[in-house]
Formats: sequence, C-alpha cells, structure tokens
Amino acid sequence: MVSDDVLRTHLQELRRGTVVVASLVALRRPDYGYALLQRLTGHGFPVDANTLYPLLRRLEEQGLLTSEWNTEESRPRKFYRTSESGEQVLRRLLDDLAAVQTSLTTLIEGAPR
Amino acid sequence: MTSLTDRYLAATLRSVPTGRREEIATELRASIADMVDGRTAEGVDPATAERAVLTELGNPAQLAARYTDRRLQLIGPEYYLAWQRLLIVLLSTIPAIVGVLMGVLQATVADNAAGAIGEGIVTAFNVAVQIAFWVTLVFAVMERLGTPLNLPEWTVDQLPEHPTERDVTLTDVCASIVFLGLFIAFLPWQHVQSVVGPDGDRLPILDPALWTFWLPLLLVVLLASIVMEIAKYRARRWTWPLVAVNAVLSLAFAVPTIWLLLNDRLLNPEFVARFAWLRDGGLDTVARISVVVIVAITLWDIAESVVKARRSAR
Repeated sequence: MVSDDVLRTHLQELRRGTVVVASLVALRRPDYGYALLQRLTGHGFPVDANTLYPLLRRLEEQGLLTSEWNTEESRPRKFYRTSESGEQVLRRLLDDLAAVQTSLTTLIEGAPR
Repeated sequence: MTSLTDRYLAATLRSVPTGRREEIATELRASIADMVDGRTAEGVDPATAERAVLTELGNPAQLAARYTDRRLQLIGPEYYLAWQRLLIVLLSTIPAIVGVLMGVLQATVADNAAGAIGEGIVTAFNVAVQIAFWVTLVFAVMERLGTPLNLPEWTVDQLPEHPTERDVTLTDVCASIVFLGLFIAFLPWQHVQSVVGPDGDRLPILDPALWTFWLPLLLVVLLASIVMEIAKYRARRWTWPLVAVNAVLSLAFAVPTIWLLLNDRLLNPEFVARFAWLRDGGLDTVARISVVVIVAITLWDIAESVVKARRSAR
C-alpha cells in the first residue's frame, strides 16, 4: 500500500493543470474571484484561494482573460471573462485532455490485466 | 473595523510592484470580504471568520510571490548544477593554495610557527567564505534576472570512460598533500627558524643528531606519501597495491617516530632543558600522548584504506 503522502502528491500533479482549464470554461460566463472559487469547488475542482486569485491575474496578463470592474454592488468587484484568445487556448487544451483520455482508454484496453 | 485585513493587505502588497498595488489591493480586499461573508453566513462570528480566512490565504510574502510570479528559491534547478560544480572546483583548490602561501610567507617573515600555521588556516577559511558568498551571490542575481548561462549542451561524449565511482575526491587529495607539504616544511624549518626563550635565541625542537639518518628517512617517507596521494587520485579509488604501499609508508613513518619518542631521542635535549615542565616529567606525558595519537591515526588510516578498497572491489 502506498503512503498517503505519495498518493496526495500524484493527485496534486494530476490536478494542477486542470484548474486552468476549468477556470477558462467557467469564465465563459463572467464572474469574480470568490464566486468562481465557489463554482469550481461545487463542480469538483477544489482549489485554494491563494492559488486561484494570483492565477486569474496571470491568465489576464497572458491575455486569456479580460476583466471589468463592477461598482454597482456594495463592494467593487473585478469580473473576469474568457477572451477570444483564451477560447482558442481552451479548445486546444480540451482537445489535448480528450486525447489523453482516449490514449489512456486504448492503453488500458490493449494492456493485458 | 477590519484592522487585521488592513495589516494583511499591507504585508502582502509591500513586495508587489507599485504600479499594480492599488488594483490588487482593491480586488484582494473584496475577495477577503466575500470569503468572510461566506463564513458569517454559516453562523461564524465575524472576528473568527476573518482570522480563518486570512489563515487560509496564508503567509503574505508567499501570496505576494504568487501574484508577482516570483520564484521562492535562491538558486533554481536551471543554475544549481553549474553553481555546485564551480563552487566545488574553486573551494577545493584556491583556499588551500592561498592558505599555504600565506602560512609560508608568515613563517619566513615572522619567527612564529604556531602563528604562521594559524594565519594560514584563518586565511584559507576567509578565502573559502568569500568564494562561497560571491559565487552564490552572482548565481542568485542571475536567477533573478533570468540570465541565460549559454553552457554547451550535455552530450553522450562527456560520459566518463570507466563508469567507476570516484572514491578519492580531489578535495581529499589536496588536503592530504597540503598537510604533508606543511609537515615536510616543518622539519627543516624547526631546525633553523624556531625561536626559544625570551632573549630570542634559536634552538632546534628536534634533536639535530637525527639529521644523520632518521629525519632524512622521515622526509623521504613523507615525499613518497605525496607521490602515493597523486597515484591514488589517478587510480580514482583505493586498489590493493595502493593499500599495501600506504600501509608500508604509514608504518615507515609511525614506527621510527614512536621508537624515537619512547627512547627520548626525538626532541633536542637543549630544547627540553629550557622548559622546566618538560624536564620534570612533562616529556613523558608529551611522548605518551604523541604515541597514542600516532598509533590511532596510523590504524585509522590503514583501516580506512582497506574498507574503501573492499568497497570499490565489489
């Protein structure tokens, strides 16, 4: 039996890149940091706040997200939305994720158990 | 009201570039408020909720590093191997060379053996610290600036011919040779340079009569030991012939020295006569301690060579 630490490390490695994919998908509908965090967690993408907030800024700087301040509510909130180039990158990422899944499936089926 | 949040924001934003500070502050403040609201809606009191949220966000310095995409390491994997190699090459040669030069210089200028050796050791240590500091500083700056190293790519041709582990490191060999060199220098030096007594007259420490046979023999043994160290380095590890030669040389040094010590023939009688505590039984104590130390070092040396030879023979 492998130790919990080893398992946790591998799961983290596996999950790391999926936060970006999930954020780009979720932000097709504009949202602010905390609400996005809630939505991702609700859909089975638990992510730490101190990872997500800086990540959003980085994706914005890379031009994959655009942002807009909403000052109508009680506190000013920055709403992010997946940009056009973000959408292109997302399609590539989703294709790749599907390709990984397909490859794994054929590998599992092809390999003697 | 939210002084804890204010303090957290100030601590986070301190290391964020000024241009982006304002915007990050506003956004992070709103996010923290949202998170606190989320917890108070579940019935947690606001003060506890604020503490919990800030604890969840973690160390402000770490959060700031994530915002600015700064690496939390002094020297990263890209530079580490180059840094390590350069440091080993420099540290294994320069401090020893400078230290010996300084010691020799001091010994010729001032008539103080212990002082000269001490000076050499202190200089070597200082040089080592300086090298380690400056090399590390330069690499740390390159890491921050992202300077490309432009080192040649690794190729298969760089693989060593014989895939043997190097049991004998350059550092060990250099240290041994430096020690042997100092010892060789000490023998003639103590004869002509050592100063005894307040009036500054020169007295050899070792019995001058030994120069007819025993001291030249020890010099030859020490010189042969240096040759053996070099041969050992070239062989890359302890081989059985080297073990045998090493044992012969160790014994050729230890046995005469011990015999001379036990027969009170090693030290100059005039030198002994000058010090009351040496005359009154101190000489026996010195001889006994020296014999114990010499035996211990010799046995350790031979045992170590046998162990390493067996390990590399496997």
